[in-house]
Amino acid sequence: MADLKYVGTSVKRRDGVDKVTGAAEFIDDRFLGPLLYVKMKKSTVAHGKIKKLDISKAQAHPGVKVVLTGKDYPNKIGLYLVDRDFVAMEKVRFFGEPVAIVAAVSERAAAEAVELIEVEYEELPGVFDPREGMKPGSPLVHENLEEYERVPIFYPVPGTNISNHFKLRKGDVEKGFAEADLIVERDFQLPQMQHVPIETHKAAAHWTPGGKLTVWSTAQSPNVVRQLLAKTFEMPMQNIRIISSYIGGGFGGKAGASLEGLVIPVAMKFPGYVVKIVFNREEDMQGTFTRQGLYSHLKTGVRKDGRITALEYKMIWDGGAYTEYGVNIVRAAGYTSTGAYDIPNVKTDSYCVYTNNSIGGPVRGFGMCEMQWGIERQMEEIAKELKMDPLELRLINGMKDGSTTAAGQVVHNVAFDKCLKTVADKIGWGKTEGKFRGKGISGLVKCPAQPSNASSSAIIRINEDGSAHVMVGATEMGQGMLTAISQIAAEGLNIPIEKIDIKVPDTDFTPYEWQSVGSRITYTCGNSVKMAAADAMGQIYKVAANLLGVPVEDLTFDGKMVYSTKDSNIKATIREVADSCKKCTGEGIAGPIIGRGSFIPSNMTNLDPETGQGNPGMFYCFGATAAEVEVDPETGVITVLQLASSLDVGKAVNPQLCHVQLHGGTIMGLSTALYEEVKFDKGVMLNRNFTDYKISSIDNTPHIDSFLIETPEEKGPYGVRGIGEQPMIGVAPAIANAVCNALDIDVNTFPLTPERVWQAIKAKR
Amino acid sequence: MLTYDYVKCENLKQAFEQLKSGEQVFPLAGGTDLMVGMRGGKFAPRLLVDIKGLEELQVLKEDDAGITIGAAVTLNQVALFEPIIKHAAPLAEGAHSVGSYAIRNRATLAGNICNASPAADTAAPLYSLAAVINLVGPEQKRSMPIEEFFIGPGKTALKKGELVHSVLIPKPYPQGKGTYIKASRTGSVDLSTVGVAVQSWGDRVRIAVGAVAPTPVRALQVEKAINEGGEKDWAKAASLVHEDISPITDLRGSREYRYHIAEVLIRRGLEQTMGV
Amino acid sequence: MTKKITINFTVNGDRETREAIVGQTLLKFIREELNLKGTKEGCEIGECGACTVLLDGKPVNSCLVLAVELDGKELTTIEGLSKNGELDKLQQAFIDHAAFQCGYCTPGMIMASKALLQRKPNPTDQDINEALSGNLCRCGAYQEIREAIKASTKK
Repeated sequence: MADLKYVGTSVKRRDGVDKVTGAAEFIDDRFLGPLLYVKMKKSTVAHGKIKKLDISKAQAHPGVKVVLTGKDYPNKIGLYLVDRDFVAMEKVRFFGEPVAIVAAVSERAAAEAVELIEVEYEELPGVFDPREGMKPGSPLVHENLEEYERVPIFYPVPGTNISNHFKLRKGDVEKGFAEADLIVERDFQLPQMQHVPIETHKAAAHWTPGGKLTVWSTAQSPNVVRQLLAKTFEMPMQNIRIISSYIGGGFGGKAGASLEGLVIPVAMKFPGYVVKIVFNREEDMQGTFTRQGLYSHLKTGVRKDGRITALEYKMIWDGGAYTEYGVNIVRAAGYTSTGAYDIPNVKTDSYCVYTNNSIGGPVRGFGMCEMQWGIERQMEEIAKELKMDPLELRLINGMKDGSTTAAGQVVHNVAFDKCLKTVADKIGWGKTEGKFRGKGISGLVKCPAQPSNASSSAIIRINEDGSAHVMVGATEMGQGMLTAISQIAAEGLNIPIEKIDIKVPDTDFTPYEWQSVGSRITYTCGNSVKMAAADAMGQIYKVAANLLGVPVEDLTFDGKMVYSTKDSNIKATIREVADSCKKCTGEGIAGPIIGRGSFIPSNMTNLDPETGQGNPGMFYCFGATAAEVEVDPETGVITVLQLASSLDVGKAVNPQLCHVQLHGGTIMGLSTALYEEVKFDKGVMLNRNFTDYKISSIDNTPHIDSFLIETPEEKGPYGVRGIGEQPMIGVAPAIANAVCNALDIDVNTFPLTPERVWQAIKAKR
Repeated sequence: MLTYDYVKCENLKQAFEQLKSGEQVFPLAGGTDLMVGMRGGKFAPRLLVDIKGLEELQVLKEDDAGITIGAAVTLNQVALFEPIIKHAAPLAEGAHSVGSYAIRNRATLAGNICNASPAADTAAPLYSLAAVINLVGPEQKRSMPIEEFFIGPGKTALKKGELVHSVLIPKPYPQGKGTYIKASRTGSVDLSTVGVAVQSWGDRVRIAVGAVAPTPVRALQVEKAINEGGEKDWAKAASLVHEDISPITDLRGSREYRYHIAEVLIRRGLEQTMGV
Repeated sequence: MTKKITINFTVNGDRETREAIVGQTLLKFIREELNLKGTKEGCEIGECGACTVLLDGKPVNSCLVLAVELDGKELTTIEGLSKNGELDKLQQAFIDHAAFQCGYCTPGMIMASKALLQRKPNPTDQDINEALSGNLCRCGAYQEIREAIKASTKK
């Protein structure tokens, strides 16, 4: 690749000054007004029919403008499966589900009015364990599942709580197990966890009498929000405007659409008002997406030389009360169900099951953390049985160039070996000194979970002074989109980054972006920006050629001037090009330069409904994590002595920010490994605040060593792959493997709280 | 959202007048427990009486009586006060382990005690130091050993209209090392799963445990074995704590784990303070 | 009936007199009455630190302070850190070391860090960890934050 000037340099974040001065506008910082404040009346049972709902006292409360109930939100919403009510209709399906909406002129009036709403429920038997939920005769969370509209790649089982059964059959597992010298199998399980971004979910809506709807939202994906709202509220898309702000952390929890719909019917009744809803921390934890719980059974067959011959994975996911998004996590986990390992014979069944727990949905990793937990723990057990080095076992089975995934997709340009060896070397694999110390390693892989028609686009407008506006539909939630995309644009236009303006999206102005999820934006949005830059450059050269009277091939651009390579006196400024006239006659040649780029992946296919075979991955990202721990055997407290993360990012557009992302994702992974679990009691989330849902803080975060590996992905811009989610995936297994090696114990779940470790030690004795 | 009134007091007399002016009147010092409780519906005050500005409640001093910690003194002040670090190490450590630095700039020692969580990190240390609590009311003052102040979870011996005036670490100070060991889920900002204070008083020891009973408790059976029985096998002595405590299972830990951890931490505390 | 009390205070060096609603938190007062949006709300119970401001120079969680308690005090928010449009050294160090990602915890983090540097001009990792243990960063910029603070103390 030619020497790059902007891509590959660690430029400082473009949103830096805004963020360190507090000037960065998040949704709740914008001046919006006049305001109506919305608060929810929330259900106090997890599953129940609404027998009585009396809103009259609330309606009469001073300051209240309107009280709405389920009938005011007649249409369901859903990205992959249209199953979700904004406000409960005849029954509630989870604790905290909205049963009524109050809009008032002050927060206080709205909160007081909520207290005046009287509700009575007839409690229904609830489903709280998806394994029970799958059984015949289980109470049904969604009686009308078969009537729900859905994207055809999801397969609900009518008359049950199973909203998606993903099947994968590769090769012949029976034959594969027959070839094995050793078969290892066990159960794994994982609790829910929650993103807990520091900024909770917020939205606001404004309606004009002329029928224009404006929505501000913390959503990661304004275009999908617009699309879903257009469908649900039966409005034409051009009349819906979604405005983004900086997002205070997304991690998948702000993907799709969530609370925006609640405020729209209110806005329509009160044109001119901005109707705002803010979830407090407890509402955010209980009432927005939660990572699905998982019960799984994994069986692996392996030859004594270490080669895995067969894998059978059954995954039962606690999808919660609505699985409009969760069905795809179940699918993604299914088609990636061999993790980073090349296994010829695979049988996977991945079930999304409704329960009356909180709504399951996308969380960083999108099923990979949960699914690969089982894979990476079972690798340890296999290594132990075979008396083989766990690293060696992974190197034998790890994917290489030409390997096939569980879905049968062929992967190329794979440096998984290098990822593993890098972190293993860093922590001094093979030597452990000290009692109660141990080392552990884990591989990881992820491709973006997206439909094969998920596209991106970009518009680049060149200003008269040669600066540029780059317009994309991707959002900035901390991952550095504004900076990375600027760098890609700068590279393509050969103008310094400071001359590029880029903002967070406004769907009235920015072009389509499917979603800012899946660790896909630098790749897809980046591709569209690269295309737009090339398009702009093409126009510049064409116009300049006409203006200067030389062939296009002779021209080059140094960021300020277009000039002929054959005679540098033949030149023109961008200004002259952008509003160009023939020098002698004054006749106009061309007007402003507008570059356009539109990208859709060409290497993906649908999957066979019976075998799950096909090409679901736009690109694959491999990596590894290694850890050294010391455990206090009396208390179970784990001290992390070393933690190393590697990732093949294809191309590090901004090396500094890539390391930062690697650290951040590793820390979030560590937090889930040691502290995070949602505790439900019959659907009530007991620990829905930071007092009892603990996450990593600075004083229990060790130093992280991060390694970027760059094996170019040929279809990515400048070789880019992805980075946002991957660093999380290998952490919990690496930590657990280290802990189990330190004490010769076994665990099949995490978080590894001190008590859980102590229980595992006791169980061993 | 609550409707209430607020008064900033100039002196104790005014405070007492306000406190007896009606129902649901709460004194306000640091507010770090009160504000959380108000938001969660646990407290519904009609009137908040702000007493933290009163000079006599801000006293933090050492004199012939010992170390006096006024009711408005913050946990950071306690944790950083040299005489406390030197003579009342369990309290310095316990106070330091509460919340975050910012919380400790507002939270007071008196508030931590009056909130009377069995897990209060300053309570077990005060037990181990034989602290005395001074209460003051409109008509009278009274004092009691700190152990008598805790009655149950969230319940103290304070009478209506009474305030904590100060806590005293009395002289003569304990001769010997002291420590507070806190077990928690994260080892960072967290409530105690179990908290153990061990203070050596020469060849005697005082041990108190938090988060294992309706109030913080002394590990009397453990103490007896050592102080009267001359037990020097710390593990053996620590194992007697099972008779002193009655932990429950909650979000932070199981009963079983708490029994186990209390024993481990007491043994470690004894090793640290009474010699191996 | 919401009662209001007149309070006199300074904010970022400027003297102010305002009516504070009894029951309103200092956090809401800062954002809605003073219109300083840099200070953020994250949990309302003093656990996340996003609302950290300096009260008489000391870091506090403004969600746990009542607006009426501001009377007679000096308030410093993130907006008070840069003078005449120039970034404070600490702020520049945060940018140089990429010590933030989404930026939502950043104002609180910087205020708590600033307070630390005023107490301890050359903090160790341990000092930093202790000072910032109550400022949660879900994006996980902790390593960069430690580096930025230490770098800001060098010439």
